[in-house]
Amino acid sequence: MELFISLVINGLATGMLIFLLAAGLTLIFGLMSVLNFAHGGLFIWGAYTGVWVFQMTNSFTLGIVAAILIGLLLGLVTERLVIRPVYGNHMQQILITLGFMLVLQELIKVAFGPDQKAVFPPDFLAGSFMVGDIVLIKYRLFIIAVGILVFVIASLILKKSRIGLIVRAGVMDKEMVQALGINIKLVFMLVFMTGAGLAALSGILHAVYSGVIYAEMGLEFSILAFIVVVIGGMGSFPGSLFAAILVGLAQAFMAYYVPALSLAVNMLLMTIVLIFRPQGLFQVKG
Amino acid sequence: MNLRRVETSTWIYLAISFLLIFIPFIVTGRSMQFIFIQIFIFAIFAMSYDILLGFTGIISFGHVMFFGIGAYSTAVTLGRMDATIGSFVLGAIIALVIAAIVSLIVGALTLRLKSHFYAMLTLALAGLFLVLAEKWRSVTGGNDGFTFSLPEFFRDSETMYWFSLLSMVLIFFGLRRFTRSPFGRVLMAIRENENRTESLGFQVTYYKVLASVVAGVVASFAGVLYALSLRFVNTAVFATDLTIDVLLMTIIGGVGTLIGPIVGAGLVEFAHHWLSGLADVHWIFERWIILYGIVYVLVVIFFPLGIVGTIQSKFMNRPVRALRTNRKSDGKKENRKGA
Repeated sequence: MELFISLVINGLATGMLIFLLAAGLTLIFGLMSVLNFAHGGLFIWGAYTGVWVFQMTNSFTLGIVAAILIGLLLGLVTERLVIRPVYGNHMQQILITLGFMLVLQELIKVAFGPDQKAVFPPDFLAGSFMVGDIVLIKYRLFIIAVGILVFVIASLILKKSRIGLIVRAGVMDKEMVQALGINIKLVFMLVFMTGAGLAALSGILHAVYSGVIYAEMGLEFSILAFIVVVIGGMGSFPGSLFAAILVGLAQAFMAYYVPALSLAVNMLLMTIVLIFRPQGLFQVKG
Repeated sequence: MNLRRVETSTWIYLAISFLLIFIPFIVTGRSMQFIFIQIFIFAIFAMSYDILLGFTGIISFGHVMFFGIGAYSTAVTLGRMDATIGSFVLGAIIALVIAAIVSLIVGALTLRLKSHFYAMLTLALAGLFLVLAEKWRSVTGGNDGFTFSLPEFFRDSETMYWFSLLSMVLIFFGLRRFTRSPFGRVLMAIRENENRTESLGFQVTYYKVLASVVAGVVASFAGVLYALSLRFVNTAVFATDLTIDVLLMTIIGGVGTLIGPIVGAGLVEFAHHWLSGLADVHWIFERWIILYGIVYVLVVIFFPLGIVGTIQSKFMNRPVRALRTNRKSDGKKENRKGA
């Protein structure tokens, strides 16, 4: 039982980290049909900058803020420089974002050096609680809390606010939204920046969670996010949360019982979804 | 149709191939010959990618998995059996069969969906193969890889050179024939307008899956040669960097031209060689992948036809086979070709 609960918590924590990455991807895709392969690059920049500020100032909060800021900034740059010139051409978009991903990843090595770096959690999140026989690691609970918080806030914005209404309408039918006189490119830029900020947040949280950061981490972790986007349905925000938790749990249990197959199980999940429900578990229809 | 034009370019290509035969007599250094061998191998790999990207309009980010399958199949077979031509042939056959099966399965799963599914699934699957190669240590030797001895025939650097050259030339002409066949024409129709091709009564998915199988098998053969040329294999043959390299070669050279990827392979491999040599001059050259990435992004934005594509569209009045597929003038130019 203790084992089961700690595996579930592991899985939820991983799931939340993937969700933060996948949420941006899925909204960006839903709104503009841009599949952003550079997302992992934003993730890794968030991780490195966040950790750097965290170790400089010894304040984890500042590290998180720095990560989100760099994410927003890089999101703006990426959207302007890389994605805007090739709007409306899927092939070029896919090709170019992967190229930019590579540039971001190598720039990390230039700025911070090519070696792995160890990261330790801040004092107030280190250690664990004991509830009965169950060990609850504080940092994992923290990640789960952040994930839920982000989901709730983002859902509220999507459901209740005007900008959320525009985004949801844009996912369904962007031509119609444009015809109503709304500058969808501006909306898209904001969504892209938000997605990039979330990816960077995911990066810093993951850096402390795994205890080590390296430049290739971005691409590796974003593969999980792609799997989640496919399983959840491209463009579906709740879908990405559900699928992320599913993938996180599958990963955690497989990593414990059959470690060699932990990536394979996610591929298997994705394959099954692609065969039986290629539009994803939660489909957005316009 | 227009046999004369075909003949001229064929003669030119044959003449160049003939001249390339004599390179080993001029360039006797083993390391320089090795660069040429690498160029031929990557040219084969890039041509197979061109079948997907340039001729059918499919983006794959995991094409390296077929390359890796080829390399590992050959290496494992040669490592476990006697180093004879027989075991090499067996290894090559195993490589091609596995690649055909994998590409068939992946293609059948995702090619009926929109293009980004194939891009994502192949990226993820290539990652899976990388993990598999790292974890299955009893066969692959893990991250460190393993060396193996070659059949007597391939031990000579010159023989390896000629064998790679011959393979490249044969595959080039084979693929050129393939893309000009009725089957290849349908692939190009799919690239230009998938919906229209489907409404003309073609089973689009069938054509796309077969194109991906052809590309997979050819890429696997490039992997076979790669393992032979190195006499060594490790998990680097599954690395995403190689996919990026091959993307760059195809795009810089010119997508949809077949000769473009060969030119691109030459440029990228030489650039690779020189830039790593410059690492002593300035530290930035150690991170030459940045330069690659930037060049690549700029090429996609400003130079989407690539070198050969630009030359063809400017000077030879040939149809534009580009990433920008929504050009209306294509049809007109295509007609003029016969005149």
